[in-house]
Amino acid sequence: MEKKYWQSLEAYKELKKSELPQGNEPHAEFSIEGLDESEIKGKSSRRDFLKMLGFSVSAVALASSCQTPIRKAIPLLNQPEDLIPGVPNFYASTFFDGIDYCSILVKTRENRPIKIEGNDLSPLTKSGTSARVQASVLNLYDDARLRKPFNNGNESDWETIDREISQQLGGLAQEGKSVVLLTSTIISPTTRKLIKEFREIYPNITWTTYDEVSASAIRKANEQNFGRAVIPFYHFDKATVIVSFNADFLGNWLLPVTFSKQFSGRRKLSNGNTDMSRLYMFESAMSLTGSNADYRIPIKPSEEGLVLMSLYNEIAGISGATTYPVPSHGFDVKQAAMDLLDNKGKSLVVSGTNNVNIQLIVNAINQLLGNYASTIDLNKTVNLKQGDDERMRQLVAKMNQGQVAGLLMYNVNPAYNYPQTDVFISGLKKVGLKVSFAETMDETALLCDYVCPDNNYLESWNDAEAVKGYLSITQPTIQPIFNTRQFQDSLMAWGSFGGDFSTYLEANWKGLLSSGNPDGKSWAKVKHDGVYTRKADAGETPGFIPQGLKLPEANSSGVELALYEKIGIGTGKYSNNPWLLEMPDPITTATWDNYACVSPKFAEEHQLQFEDVVKINGQIELPVLVQPGQAYGTVSIALGFGRTAAGKAGNNVGQNVYRLMNGKNSTFQLSGEVVSLEKVIGKTYPLALTQMHHTMEGRPIARETTLRDFIKNPSSGNEKERFNEENNTTLYQKVNFDGIQWGMSIDLSSCTGCANCVIACQAENNVAVIGKEQVKNRRIMHWMRIDRYYSEDVENPEVFHMPTMCQHCDNAPCENVCPVAATNHSTEGLNQMAYNRCIGTRYCINNCPYKVRRFNWFEFTNNNQFDYNMNSELGKMVLNPDVIVRQRGVVEKCSLCIQRIQEKKLLAKMENRPLKEGEVVVACQQSCPTDAIGFGNLQNPSSKVSKERKEKRTYHLLGHLHTLPSTTYMTKVRNKES
Amino acid sequence: MINTGIVFKKPLALNAFLKNGLLILLLLFSSLSFGQTAEAEANFAVCKACHTIGGGKLVGPDLKGVTERREEAWILRFVKNSTEFIQSGDPVAKQVFEENNSIPMPPNNLTDEQIKDILLYIENGGKVAGASEAVVEQTPKPAQDELESTMILAEKKQAEAQNLYITFIILSVLIVISIFDLLVSKILKARWIHVVIMLISVVVIGEIVFLESAALGRQQYYQPEQPIMFSHKVHAGQNKIDCKYCHFTADESMHAGIPPVNVCMNCHSQVKQGKLTGTKEIDKIYSAIERNKPIEWIKVHNLPDHVYFNHAQHVNVGKVACAECHGPVEKMDQIIQVEDLSMGWCIQCHREKEVQFADNKFYDQYTKLHQQIKSGKISKVTVQMIGGDECQKCHY
Repeated sequence: MEKKYWQSLEAYKELKKSELPQGNEPHAEFSIEGLDESEIKGKSSRRDFLKMLGFSVSAVALASSCQTPIRKAIPLLNQPEDLIPGVPNFYASTFFDGIDYCSILVKTRENRPIKIEGNDLSPLTKSGTSARVQASVLNLYDDARLRKPFNNGNESDWETIDREISQQLGGLAQEGKSVVLLTSTIISPTTRKLIKEFREIYPNITWTTYDEVSASAIRKANEQNFGRAVIPFYHFDKATVIVSFNADFLGNWLLPVTFSKQFSGRRKLSNGNTDMSRLYMFESAMSLTGSNADYRIPIKPSEEGLVLMSLYNEIAGISGATTYPVPSHGFDVKQAAMDLLDNKGKSLVVSGTNNVNIQLIVNAINQLLGNYASTIDLNKTVNLKQGDDERMRQLVAKMNQGQVAGLLMYNVNPAYNYPQTDVFISGLKKVGLKVSFAETMDETALLCDYVCPDNNYLESWNDAEAVKGYLSITQPTIQPIFNTRQFQDSLMAWGSFGGDFSTYLEANWKGLLSSGNPDGKSWAKVKHDGVYTRKADAGETPGFIPQGLKLPEANSSGVELALYEKIGIGTGKYSNNPWLLEMPDPITTATWDNYACVSPKFAEEHQLQFEDVVKINGQIELPVLVQPGQAYGTVSIALGFGRTAAGKAGNNVGQNVYRLMNGKNSTFQLSGEVVSLEKVIGKTYPLALTQMHHTMEGRPIARETTLRDFIKNPSSGNEKERFNEENNTTLYQKVNFDGIQWGMSIDLSSCTGCANCVIACQAENNVAVIGKEQVKNRRIMHWMRIDRYYSEDVENPEVFHMPTMCQHCDNAPCENVCPVAATNHSTEGLNQMAYNRCIGTRYCINNCPYKVRRFNWFEFTNNNQFDYNMNSELGKMVLNPDVIVRQRGVVEKCSLCIQRIQEKKLLAKMENRPLKEGEVVVACQQSCPTDAIGFGNLQNPSSKVSKERKEKRTYHLLGHLHTLPSTTYMTKVRNKES
Repeated sequence: MINTGIVFKKPLALNAFLKNGLLILLLLFSSLSFGQTAEAEANFAVCKACHTIGGGKLVGPDLKGVTERREEAWILRFVKNSTEFIQSGDPVAKQVFEENNSIPMPPNNLTDEQIKDILLYIENGGKVAGASEAVVEQTPKPAQDELESTMILAEKKQAEAQNLYITFIILSVLIVISIFDLLVSKILKARWIHVVIMLISVVVIGEIVFLESAALGRQQYYQPEQPIMFSHKVHAGQNKIDCKYCHFTADESMHAGIPPVNVCMNCHSQVKQGKLTGTKEIDKIYSAIERNKPIEWIKVHNLPDHVYFNHAQHVNVGKVACAECHGPVEKMDQIIQVEDLSMGWCIQCHREKEVQFADNKFYDQYTKLHQQIKSGKISKVTVQMIGGDECQKCHY
């Protein structure tokens, strides 16, 4: 009887599946809960009501009379020794997607990766990650992933594909025709070796590296100055004064996680340290780094060369070097120059502009300041961004001339992101053999004969050497979910190498470990740690070959364009990642779109308003976002949007602006184009911002001071706190804790607002993605948000980033108003939320002064109205089994990762020992690249949070309300003169 | 701190209390007075999978009188690592190995003292030395009755449910009749009778509805048919295999774990025929291996999705015996859910159960509670006193 029921349930499931919409049809206009249009407009009649009433009553009656469905418990056939159901396993691995590098730990439950953590053993990234790294685990469970190889759009199998491609490659090799292997930057030494050997088998294959956003100018400039086409390693931790020109090193530039660790480490004010580095930022668009600068100067792209040259002249004048004539401009660089000169050898000048002339000036300044071999290490080279724009141009030209007979493309998508897409596509059509290794059927793969889907990096073996001598390992944490094969294995199959890449990698590593391995690390140990540092032979810094400096050609005849990468979406690799799409941009707080940023003054002059639509160059229509801090006369647009073949979440979101890149010089530059910008009269486009309100209404929410004032008086900027503490009284009984009282402390001086914590929290706590419409309705579900405040000048404001989540008040306003006691206080100081008790009155939301509680307006799971990841069997695999998925009608909020607290408490009990300080690490804290978040037991006087609580910088958010939050903040200190 | 407002079924709760109290007393008593040998009994639980003491040969030989047959030193070597011992060329070891179908005995991580202790335990005929019969009996005698009462209860419950349905229908009909009489037929002149009938009916119906809806989704006395006629009575009862031999992750994971087939095969590579079912049921294990498909058991004890339950916390840390929640499993052929697994039932135990407060160093940090114990203010620390009835102990 019961078995029959189960079968019918199966059949029911099948039925449901067949009812689901097939493919990626754009879904109809959003409607509430499956009601049709007439019902939304309120046309439902009394009869409808009665029908529904009758139906629901009978449904309830039926449901209640049924047996509870049968649940199965299926054990493994053979349980491996190290797999215990219910206990997570961690594997050290490496994230590298062609652009970003990060050493990571992958948390798996029942052999299923569910969360990425930072690897604390890595000397490069320490335990930090970035939002993209955090979100990368969701890409593993992307519905858009290819499930098998394809041949001309038809499903195929590996055997056929291998046979056909080997045959064709062999034929082309015999004829001596040119075949090109086009890849993203490859930092894996073993893969590079494999490619080399592969090319020995097929000598007609040449290898071109392509980066959509390249840094080839840095390599070119260094080639001219030092005879080495390298990117050096930058030590932001050793620099007292940093001057950056458009280099967003905390967000996108080269090694943002490493640089964030270095930068924030140099600016920590705990333990009586009062030594802080100072950052000057010259930039057009407000970047994450710019928002953290002590001095930020908005400049147009055309002015970058002028300002840089003036800076050079100032320094050269005093140092007695050649100066160059500079046309006058309105910027004073004396202060920066003096600061740099005062800190010779302890300063750093960088530029993110991909222009050789600019980079030559930067090199010349650094040389004058004696920064080489101190803050810039030319021997410890950065292997990222190996792409050479010139060679890519030559390749596209050759393709168009019909000189390329075969093209193998790995991890690149030029049909989407090459600046002259149409030229590339027309060239591609002339190529005989087109092979793509794309994980999804992207824009380029669609045009290829063969698509040989690569594994996700969490299913692959690989290694990485992002910085010379610092190696790390990528190891699979799950069996390939689909019939995919990693790129290296495909090459090995076609080159008849025999064996697979994992054995190839192991053999290569065993060779590598046999020499220059002072600690005697074994292969097993390398896999365990995930990282390996090779003994570095301290090379000499090469001599500086001075070059004549000249100003880059600049066009300032109109509105200047400065393209940028968003912290979430980046170059567009993750455009189908709903977590990243919905992540509010740290600066604009916008989600789900790109837009044209203009300065307030510019907007006023051109009568542009927020959400007005403008036409760029008469082609691309984009909404306007008035961005304080944007350089006047410039417009900034994010790359990475406007994908047409990304997948269900990312298709047709925003506009593709790669074609607006500046290709006038030999390199492709993000800035330097002049565009026309005309308002489309009467047209607006809605943008979903999470923070429309930018002021603090005079309340001391975000507190700050300058370093000078801080040294004089450590509680400067925070005077209110003492007043609050002395004057607050309460009618309520004081809470008494025994043993444990959890507390959090956030150092606003360290926080850069990179939003890593937002995604880490989302991944850990199963936070739902709700889509643009609902974000616009202010229903975003993030438990953690980063508030951004502006102060001072609207054209060039000071920026504040403030992570805000439930403050776990000991005197919580939300607890008092819950009619069903669904939210209440624990003996450990946590503000608990019992979802199964909540009846959704939302009184607590209204009464929370921090606005950190979220209401589930809809069922976000198994609901095709929210077609992101929680409605698909594959997408749901990312969910953390220790945290419940909330249902419609309940309130949720930050729990201070209660599951992690309980896990570690249990571990301590099982090991019969007290809980250690720093043992419980919450999700936002674990991977913070600036170590801004501290968490621990306030009852333990020696814990970090207890100590920080005593510091003069510490304050409670809205402390005057006497909510007694368990979370405290520490004043932001800017290294400014006034 | 908050009144949870759960209705308790008093007799059951009381029963559980008595049972728990008794068991704790027994455990406490045995562990206090006989230290090492009680440990031997626990250690022997692993051996029991293949050996009996006077119960005949299972996978391995009957261990009755083993200390007379072999030298102590020989046994020590064999127990620690039999394979190594056999390979070293000991003729007796080799003979024993071959006599027992060449199935190697897995190596054990036991100290000499622990093994000697186990030998003492075997010499004593499988009893803890010096303990009286009553204490040795791990599962208290009432268990038999309890299971029977469980079965009766299940039947009773069904009858009760039937009675409830009948009452429900009768009362509903009564209400309809009285309304009809009140408005249309007007046979009874005294209107208060209508009112009384209706009031009583509404109250009783209300209570039935409340009780039934509270029990919705609960599965007390749920006993599904499993894909294999696996009998806990044979395994845990007759062969006295320790629960944690098969459910071996109960000590370290949230899941007690359904044993994978390779655990079954530890014994069933030899035991190919059951006393009751012959080869029919055991063959299903082999067929699972052949088809490379795990056995799909039906889960009996289901908690709602919004409950986080961790076996390690209860079994390992809390030292709660399996039977306290799962009932006398060793008496069941097919597993039946004995308790209703309601929140009231959980909380009740959390309110009464004593924490291993003095024994576990984790609890050292609760200085105030320790002071209260010292000053005699409280005699024991219950789970509730360290936050055991707070929402986020189980709901997150």
